[in-house]
Amino acid sequence: MRSRDADRRLAAPIAPLLAKEIREITAGRALWTMLLLVCPLVGYSFAQAVSLYSESSSAALQSPVLARSLSPLDGILVPTFGSFYVAVTLLFPFVAIRVLGQEKETGALRLLVQLPYRHSTLVLVKLCAVLAGWLMVSVPALSALAMWAVLGGHLAAPETLNLLFGHLLYGLLVGGIGLLAATISDSSATAAIVALAVTIGSWVLDFTLAGRSGWSAWFAQLSLTRTLRPFEEGLLSAGLVLGIAVVISGLTALTIIWLPPGSHRRTRFARSVACLFMIVLALGAAAQARKSLDVSEDRRNSFSAADERLLATLRLPLVITVNLAPEDPRYIDLRRNVLAKLERAMPDVAVVLAGARQNAASSPDAYGQIEYVYGNRNDVSRSTSPREILPLLYALAGAQPPVPGSGEDYPGYPLIASANASLLWFFGGLPLLIALAWWRIRRPATKPYLIGKGAKS
Amino acid sequence: MPAPQPFPDGSVPLLHVANLTKLYGRDELAIERVMFSVQAGEILGIIGPNGAGKTTVLEAIAGLLPVNSGEVFWRGEPLKIADRRNSLFYLPDGVHPYRDQTAWQVLSFVARVFRRSDAEVRATIEALGLQPVLGKRVHELSKGYARRLILSLGLLAPHELLLMDEPFDGFDLRQIREIIGVLRGQTAYGRTLILCIHQLADAERICDRFILLSAGRVRGIGGLADLRAQTGLATGSLEDIFLALT
Repeated sequence: MRSRDADRRLAAPIAPLLAKEIREITAGRALWTMLLLVCPLVGYSFAQAVSLYSESSSAALQSPVLARSLSPLDGILVPTFGSFYVAVTLLFPFVAIRVLGQEKETGALRLLVQLPYRHSTLVLVKLCAVLAGWLMVSVPALSALAMWAVLGGHLAAPETLNLLFGHLLYGLLVGGIGLLAATISDSSATAAIVALAVTIGSWVLDFTLAGRSGWSAWFAQLSLTRTLRPFEEGLLSAGLVLGIAVVISGLTALTIIWLPPGSHRRTRFARSVACLFMIVLALGAAAQARKSLDVSEDRRNSFSAADERLLATLRLPLVITVNLAPEDPRYIDLRRNVLAKLERAMPDVAVVLAGARQNAASSPDAYGQIEYVYGNRNDVSRSTSPREILPLLYALAGAQPPVPGSGEDYPGYPLIASANASLLWFFGGLPLLIALAWWRIRRPATKPYLIGKGAKS
Repeated sequence: MPAPQPFPDGSVPLLHVANLTKLYGRDELAIERVMFSVQAGEILGIIGPNGAGKTTVLEAIAGLLPVNSGEVFWRGEPLKIADRRNSLFYLPDGVHPYRDQTAWQVLSFVARVFRRSDAEVRATIEALGLQPVLGKRVHELSKGYARRLILSLGLLAPHELLLMDEPFDGFDLRQIREIIGVLRGQTAYGRTLILCIHQLADAERICDRFILLSAGRVRGIGGLADLRAQTGLATGSLEDIFLALT
């Protein structure tokens, strides 16, 4: 019965481990309960979004100008996936915790860590199972996309895929938090408290520190909620993607450090500190990646193509000194409409925020001024509109403003439709299918061919 | 650290445990300077009452519990914690792995990990009488079948040394005899076993040698004859010897 072949221990196959992890995640109630809860949540959001979109469309169908403001990304996709985001934040940690928590509670982890897999392999396979879990719970949201297409709605592939990618990264981030929480906690209940403290605490951080400056602004950047916003605005930012990848890798590395039960607590703490240091360094490096792609169909994050081409040729450093407080709505306008676009279009742009509230009190005339220095020339403006700022910049650079291109205008996609019938799917059909799938998986397995007759006890 | 001494027949111990000490917290001593050796092919019983430190010894050897001091040697060479799972396999007590999966799924998972053939899996299932419950989920198994399932995982592991914590827990007398036969069969294939047993009568039936553990300390080591000689109880049972030494 026993083989002396030591080779068996050297390279254990990954497939049975992955199959076991997926069986574990699908055997638990957490996944199915979440799926059943996501159905009405996403369905209601989708129906509401379609209803509001249709109301706006009825006026827009008469006016091409109004129609241009109707984007399915803003009107349908973001609100529908917004409810999915809430579900992932509040419920997905339970699914991820199940992947490891159950093994800790039943003692199976002590068997698992003795199997011929590296600890990193064990954790990465668990992360794959978490990914599989996320794919399953995203089925209702994905079916909403299909429903929108069936209703005749427009879907632009780049911005839709970008949004899905953002949610996938967010799901992995929450899953990583859940896995780490399960590893450092003694029980699944404690792990759930730890994971929710991070995800909900992140919301609180975002709400309370929104619009603040200085350290508060820096802390607000740490909020998980912030990670999805660029994706919702149709922006694929290399720095953000790298940053999220670093955090997911960091959470995975910390899980690997805390997984083996045989290592000393002191060793684990020392390794964790080193790991956190590496994460901070890597995040710093990721923040240097400024490249981003505007994948929105209406190119809301970019100037016109002609302007972008011309701005890309302006090689000298542009220094913009803004005398506005960061919470000032004018600054928020300026950042969205001009600064963010300039940073993407020009090779060397530096923005200096010089206008705190105390400065506004001491020099009220200077407050609101925005100074542009290009090479050895400078100019001042108070405008936050690109229509005034771009000509100013071209004048500073001695460049001729480009001729506006034709056919670049976003047409908008107004649609009058009713999603009431889709409620039947989200409140009836899909939950029924999920319940059936759950029952099918819970059903006693088919007897393996090895089973013979005869009981011994 | 004391190097492992050869056995009287000149053979190097398969496993040598030197001065293992484990403290829980700052001053709660679980085991203190535990030292013993295991010969290839033997069944060594670590016996003692509940709380004697038996499980702590096994988990420390398996590398699943950090110790304060002490070392483990494999064939005379120090065995690093990271390498222990390559040499030995530990079956903990009270484990119900993957409660929502069927016994067959758990068994076939371990069999596939260790690349066991169908014939080997079938032989293990038959040896432990698991056929009637293969389709049942682990949480539905009786205590006896759950224990058989855990034992089957150990038998499927290809390691030379198996550490088992309370392998007879949950079995009646007839079943214990049956399992003893299975474990004895394992030594015939050259496998070595270290068993933690708190029932002295069971230990006496299966073990070649004994380590008597009480309050975290080794009180006696040897075969039944050695221990009888050591205590002067010429016809004493293991129970009498244990009481005399502790």
